[in-house]
Amino acid sequence: MTAVLSTHGLLARYGDFQALYGVDIELHQGEAVALIGANGAGKSTLLRSIMGLLPVGREMVLLHGEPVGGTATDRMVQKGVAIVPEGRRLFTGMSVEDNLRVAIDQAARMGAKGGWTLPRLHQLFPILKEKARTQVQSLSGGQQQMVAIGRALLCQPRVLLCDEISLGLAPKVIREIYAALPEIRATGTAMIVVEQDVGLARTASDRLYCMLEGRVTLTGRSAEITREQIGKAYFGAGHGVV
Amino acid sequence: MSAIPYAATEVPEVLVQRQTRSGRIAMTLAVLAMIGVAAMPWWASTGTIRSVLVLCCYIAVAQMWNLLAGYAGLVSVGQHAFMGAAGYALFVLAQTYGINPFVAVFLSLLVPTALAVPIYLLLHRLDGPYFSIGTWVVAEVFRLTASNLPLVNSGAGMSLRVMKDYSAFERNVAMSLLCAGMLLVTLGGSYWLLRSRFGLALIAMRDNPVAAASQGVNVVKLRFLIYVASAVGCGLAGAIYFMAQLRITPGSAFDPMWANVAIFIVMVGGIGSIEGVLIGSLIFFIADRWFGEYGATYFVVLGLMTLMVALYARTGIWGLISKRWDAPWFPIRRKLVDPKH
Repeated sequence: MTAVLSTHGLLARYGDFQALYGVDIELHQGEAVALIGANGAGKSTLLRSIMGLLPVGREMVLLHGEPVGGTATDRMVQKGVAIVPEGRRLFTGMSVEDNLRVAIDQAARMGAKGGWTLPRLHQLFPILKEKARTQVQSLSGGQQQMVAIGRALLCQPRVLLCDEISLGLAPKVIREIYAALPEIRATGTAMIVVEQDVGLARTASDRLYCMLEGRVTLTGRSAEITREQIGKAYFGAGHGVV
Repeated sequence: MSAIPYAATEVPEVLVQRQTRSGRIAMTLAVLAMIGVAAMPWWASTGTIRSVLVLCCYIAVAQMWNLLAGYAGLVSVGQHAFMGAAGYALFVLAQTYGINPFVAVFLSLLVPTALAVPIYLLLHRLDGPYFSIGTWVVAEVFRLTASNLPLVNSGAGMSLRVMKDYSAFERNVAMSLLCAGMLLVTLGGSYWLLRSRFGLALIAMRDNPVAAASQGVNVVKLRFLIYVASAVGCGLAGAIYFMAQLRITPGSAFDPMWANVAIFIVMVGGIGSIEGVLIGSLIFFIADRWFGEYGATYFVVLGLMTLMVALYARTGIWGLISKRWDAPWFPIRRKLVDPKH
């Protein structure tokens, strides 16, 4: 089966600093893949590279087999890849509704087709309807994260990249947000979820990749990988593939 | 139009309201002011027309800088390059080639348009302060080129002697109409842009360009279009200003004072808002008229004022006002209302 999204020997740099060393990952239709690793392992850099936010070689990222590495971010959105960025990056001068409207307007402009509409999003996160007129700055962290996810979904993605969506949130809120992920996957959207919480990452994904210092050190089915294997791959005591 | 159906298939019970009472009052006053400017020859002296023309140029140039810096995040300190380029183009077309000067005003806009494209392609790879320095360097290159170009009489400059063919009244009528048109294009055009679909994308880009790109906003293209539009707006102000001056030299055409004025107006008035530009322009205009005679001291006071605003009130005077009273003059926010109430 051809992967929806894959990277091949992906290299990425921040100036003189090399952040990724030949990363290979695959994502299939409707699949959820978790990316775990310590701070600085290169997880967010990997998502940024896929999304066109960092310059990478054209053949290093394939979308449905088509080389798309280094494609401009807005073009990646047009091709069906959306990101929920780390730190949410909401448009702070706008209301909830206007934040979502940006995505709706752009999706309409690009002729993007998909099943995500405002009412459907409101079913997924009812609080967004209640808080539609509220400035996003005055929302709680969890509510802001829901806006960020909603905004990405309204781009009608076939691939959704979620970067640390649990960061800084209370456990109850994290559970609420992660409870929405299966419904998103049910639409056929494939997902890459960057997560620091290994337990959460395992339960929320079909497969996982563990990264360390810009390299993939472990990959396999989330349910089959043991804590010991993850521990070794996470901290660098040894590499393993299940 | 006070309310429009908002995505009726999506949220049938909600309406979007974008006009407010304060907006309607301000719009009425703006239309009256525009008519007043256009009708100046019938109620104002030539001196007053000259003063209003300068004020209109301040507003236009500042609003163009506001679009650039306040929405596109491009801090240019060289927009006077386009004012001078259009000014010179007008003089060459009217004086050297004998084209009607009032037609030449519009033809001269082709020059800043044509120049803005390659300049942006050259500069857009530069980030933050490097971009700013690049724009300043471009303006200096323009000044040096004009100083050495025989076509524009080199450093000696040019005079617009063809204006003698028109009576003072005819000139006043033309200047007044051009001023009204300039306000309509720069302020009205900006307001229309911000209320359009592009407006939300522009505001998103101002808030967070990376996130805006991640929502599909073509930040690169939008910035390019804003840069070119701003160059044309500054060019229009330059053509009208130098037509009124009847003389142009490399020093006056590419005077960095215009960049300073635009930055002062937008910073003090309030960046990212049309209201701020109007407030800042009036403050600068009045300060320039009343305190200009104090020379260096006056500039020190203006500089200190900008510094204080940058340190303690980054949203400018309009930011302070709008924090206290939610009464925008040019509302661009979408307000969701329940039609049942």
